Amino acid sequence: MPKCTINGKEVEVKEGTSIIKAMVDSGERIAHYCWHDGLSVAGVCRLCMVEIEGNPRVQIACNTTITEGMKINNTSDKVRDAVKWGLDFHLINHPLDCPICDQAGECGLQDQYMEYGKYDPEMAEHKQKKHKVVDLGPTVVLDSERCILCSRCVRFTEEVSKTNELGIFNRGDRSEIGTHDGLELNNKYSLNTVDICPVGALTSKDFRFRQRVWYLKDAETVCNGCSTGCNIKAYYNREGFFRVKPSYNEKVNGHWMCDEGRDVYKFVNQEHRLLKAQVRGAAGWTEMAAGAAAKKASEVLKAAAADSIALVLTAQYTVEEYDAIVSTFVNEFKTKKIFFWINNKESFDEFDGLLIRGDKNPNTKGLLKVLEKHGITATWNELSAGLASGSVKTVVVAGPENQAVFKDFAERAKELSKAQNLIWLQAGKNEALMSLTGNVWLIPTKTFVEKDGTFINFAGLEQKFKKVTTVVSEALTLTEASLLMAGKNLAIPTAAQPFMPNNQRVDQVELEARKKNEFVFRRGSL
Amino acid sequence: MSVMQNNSEKSKWYLPGVLGGMSITMKHLLKNLFNQKKMMTLNYPEEKYEYSPRFKGNHVLTVKKDGSLRCTACMLCATNCPAECIKITAAEHNDHTVEKFPISYEIDILRCVFCGYCEEACPVDAIRLGPEWQTPGVNGANFIYDINHLAYRPNLKGGIQTHVDDEERLKSGL
Amino acid sequence: MSEVKVLTEFYHLPEFQTLAGYKAKGGYETLPKALKMQPQAIIDEVKASGLRGRGGAGFPTGMKWGFLPKNGEPRYLLCNADEGEPGTFKDRMMMERAPHQLIEGMIISAFAVGSNKGYIYVRGEYVYPIECLYKALKEAYDAGLLGKNILGSGFDFDLDVYRGAGAYICGEETGMISSLEGLKGQPKLKPPFPAVQGYLRKPTIVNNVETLAAVTYIVRDGAATYRKHGTEKSAGTKLFSLSGNVMKPGNYEVPLGYPLMDLIMKEGGGMKPGRRLKAVIPGGSSAPVLTAEEVGKANLDYESLAGLGTMLGSGAVIVIDDSQCMVDMLGVLSHFYAHESCGQCTPCREGTGWLNKILHSILEGRGRLQDIDLLIKVADNMKGKTICALSDAAALPVLSFVTKFRDEFEFYVREGRSKVKGTTYAEMHH
Repeated sequence: MPKCTINGKEVEVKEGTSIIKAMVDSGERIAHYCWHDGLSVAGVCRLCMVEIEGNPRVQIACNTTITEGMKINNTSDKVRDAVKWGLDFHLINHPLDCPICDQAGECGLQDQYMEYGKYDPEMAEHKQKKHKVVDLGPTVVLDSERCILCSRCVRFTEEVSKTNELGIFNRGDRSEIGTHDGLELNNKYSLNTVDICPVGALTSKDFRFRQRVWYLKDAETVCNGCSTGCNIKAYYNREGFFRVKPSYNEKVNGHWMCDEGRDVYKFVNQEHRLLKAQVRGAAGWTEMAAGAAAKKASEVLKAAAADSIALVLTAQYTVEEYDAIVSTFVNEFKTKKIFFWINNKESFDEFDGLLIRGDKNPNTKGLLKVLEKHGITATWNELSAGLASGSVKTVVVAGPENQAVFKDFAERAKELSKAQNLIWLQAGKNEALMSLTGNVWLIPTKTFVEKDGTFINFAGLEQKFKKVTTVVSEALTLTEASLLMAGKNLAIPTAAQPFMPNNQRVDQVELEARKKNEFVFRRGSL
Repeated sequence: MSVMQNNSEKSKWYLPGVLGGMSITMKHLLKNLFNQKKMMTLNYPEEKYEYSPRFKGNHVLTVKKDGSLRCTACMLCATNCPAECIKITAAEHNDHTVEKFPISYEIDILRCVFCGYCEEACPVDAIRLGPEWQTPGVNGANFIYDINHLAYRPNLKGGIQTHVDDEERLKSGL
Repeated sequence: MSEVKVLTEFYHLPEFQTLAGYKAKGGYETLPKALKMQPQAIIDEVKASGLRGRGGAGFPTGMKWGFLPKNGEPRYLLCNADEGEPGTFKDRMMMERAPHQLIEGMIISAFAVGSNKGYIYVRGEYVYPIECLYKALKEAYDAGLLGKNILGSGFDFDLDVYRGAGAYICGEETGMISSLEGLKGQPKLKPPFPAVQGYLRKPTIVNNVETLAAVTYIVRDGAATYRKHGTEKSAGTKLFSLSGNVMKPGNYEVPLGYPLMDLIMKEGGGMKPGRRLKAVIPGGSSAPVLTAEEVGKANLDYESLAGLGTMLGSGAVIVIDDSQCMVDMLGVLSHFYAHESCGQCTPCREGTGWLNKILHSILEGRGRLQDIDLLIKVADNMKGKTICALSDAAALPVLSFVTKFRDEFEFYVREGRSKVKGTTYAEMHH
């Protein structure tokens, strides 16, 4: 374990650590573009200059391994000057189109320029013209003029996705990123290139021009796209969710996530959601508040015989919710007819070697664990038989949130509609549900970004996550719904101390709130 | 604000103050009677005052030579707007040299405080505050100005062009 | 002092190109002797001879060979015959006139460093030298000088010619290795150095044609004999490619330490009638230029030239007389470097282009006086900031041209025409 001094601070690092890694880990600021923790070292941006005592020349931190007793410094005038000029070289051919560039606001060049800019441009020549708005594939658009040729995206396709679509073509200041002949950037991880692009050269077609990033807030949560459970950052504002980016977690997804997972924000937004409860009786559909519908449903459930009630669960809810709803059914309604709706049995154990898994539910393990805890062993065949024979009269269904991965949705809905009373807790709108006949309660539920909870991923790793924001305020969680269906009232959790203690200044609170809610200039998130 | 009260003996004599005030009134009365051209008062609405072109009145979206909007939908005006009265929806343009343009640009003129920050923030001289200021209306809905009104209302006669065009900018390497 | 022909002794004989002709003049006599020596003994001999890399950097060859890790990994011996440096044409002559000299040198070197596979990386434009090499390789293979069990010694060595595509950057050793691996010819990050991890991530030695050819003579005559020529720190003889405004341009082999003025005036036959010497670029286009006064003080060895702030480089002496416009020349050079920068490191990619643009706006009459200082500033900040030396190579000429001939640049900016030629850029080039 070599020890070194970084900007006067003693740091102990692992054998073979590069200077830049040690600096980033210890919270020192160091300018860089081409270096990325998840990729190999390219050493081409020449910005991560440091001065090492005993070496007359400044050198790059990304390709220098720390040795015992090294004295590293990147705050000297010499280093600052080198970085200033390095940055200027990046900028001389970079177009000044920040106003229409999607990266503006979270751009590496803008951030570095604030700190290391020369502020008096000396470039009086014409800028290099390159291709703009190049369609690289179904997900990504390239602007070569904005590109600073850090080669992160090229290295990503070489080293991580191993698809090798991208390359740098031509030489010198005519160099451009491009796809190899006959190929397009079309792999399951292509949008990671957009994340790692430090400038606005690669933009996502999905997010392009939809919002300026400073209108977005972000919060960490766990992807509900598959059983890998990648850690993600969801970006949202009051208009809804706009995009999803991976958040680093060494144990789960590293720096990356798949393109499929980036679509999970879509079904969360209001336009796809069930905003009000829909209740179908003899007179047809009526709209009512979610809580009222659940209360109505509770009357039906209470009136029903214990062995005529069944509960169908999908693996898209949190462990806490499962526990609440299953224990309600077991204890209140005295039924053990609780069934697990498995949507993709045949591809359950598929894995592409990087992140994507065939089990498209985030919490299969969690659901199984809860079912096991309550000793439930019912299989779908029993339900089918019960529905066919008419012994099961009242069915409560929960989910799924992400209907796109439930290919058998319409088919199952038809099967379930054989029940006399169908109480369906559902987050999104669905045609198949609206065309149901008989007594139906459609009760809106909250999605994974609207509640706290735990997912247990394929490896049994429990991941707790916090609520991001509320999209449909009326929607219920399964916990709330099961309380209401059991005929209880919702307990409003009372804070121990609703008012601020007197000795705390008001502005301290506001500052905390500001930090959390307001747009924060994210310099460190290159 | 603190008020200083002068309680001296002299202040008890009110008549000189009243006469002084009356004399100013009389002076203006006589001036306006005998020199009506220089009279400050206007017979609005028969007479209307012409403000200077720099007056910050109603917004105008400028256009290019071909009549399309200059606005690139960068949303800096909306970001800068203290009254939050600008709402823009951006879209991708078919022409790659334009790239981004607004498919909707709305100003809620009732919220606007005419501070001119939008004009200052605009990097492409696409929004200006013009000399128009009389904008009466009877229906509240009319006060949300859309592109049609902001850029192509009849009194703009097909839109206001700015002095530099994109092509010229490209040619000169800007 | 005058020319000393060690390598080039028989270059005037056309038959020296063939195996028979080469053998007749003592060729391949050293090889059996070397194969009986201990490899370490050869390395020690080369170390003792003080042979330094002839490609440009002048790194001691024996020391480079000593950097190889002592493990059982396969090693590669690469011959750098890319010769991209403007003004250099010595390797071409060596490959044309005496391909066997190179092959023999390579076999001995390969034996010394323990390599069983070698490549000669020749630039694509060298069509005739490549033909000569192919012919010579066939002869050598047929004669059992290459391949398995060379001359019954039990040592195997395969040699191949690789034809580059003509990029300047592929003359840089790691760039050359990338190109040889089939990748885009771009220099690799150092460390790891090629001696540790080079071609196909195996230990690799890259040497210039002249260096490898000289090994034969060091082994034949011994280090002491080799050291007779040259100076203490720059031993032996070296080929210099004399070009530019001299009467007799060409390749000349002289001992290191030979006065530069003598090379130009005696070997080169002096200046053209009525012309005065104005400047000399002593080591290929990347070396800083010397003014006429400095040329008088300069000796052709690594130390003397380094003392004058320039370098021996690949030994391409470019002579410039007083009819040449320095601004125009620098414009040509900067265009070359902007064209040849591989585009990997930002300071070089953008800097070379920027320098070129500034110089051409000066040349086309759009220059501003502050552009001259800007040239210096840009060049200064490109120096030593990149993976390879191309950035330095582009910056150093600019720095030396602009500081040493500033009056010409200022005149050009003020008047919009050349001080020497009196004409504008358009007139000069059409």
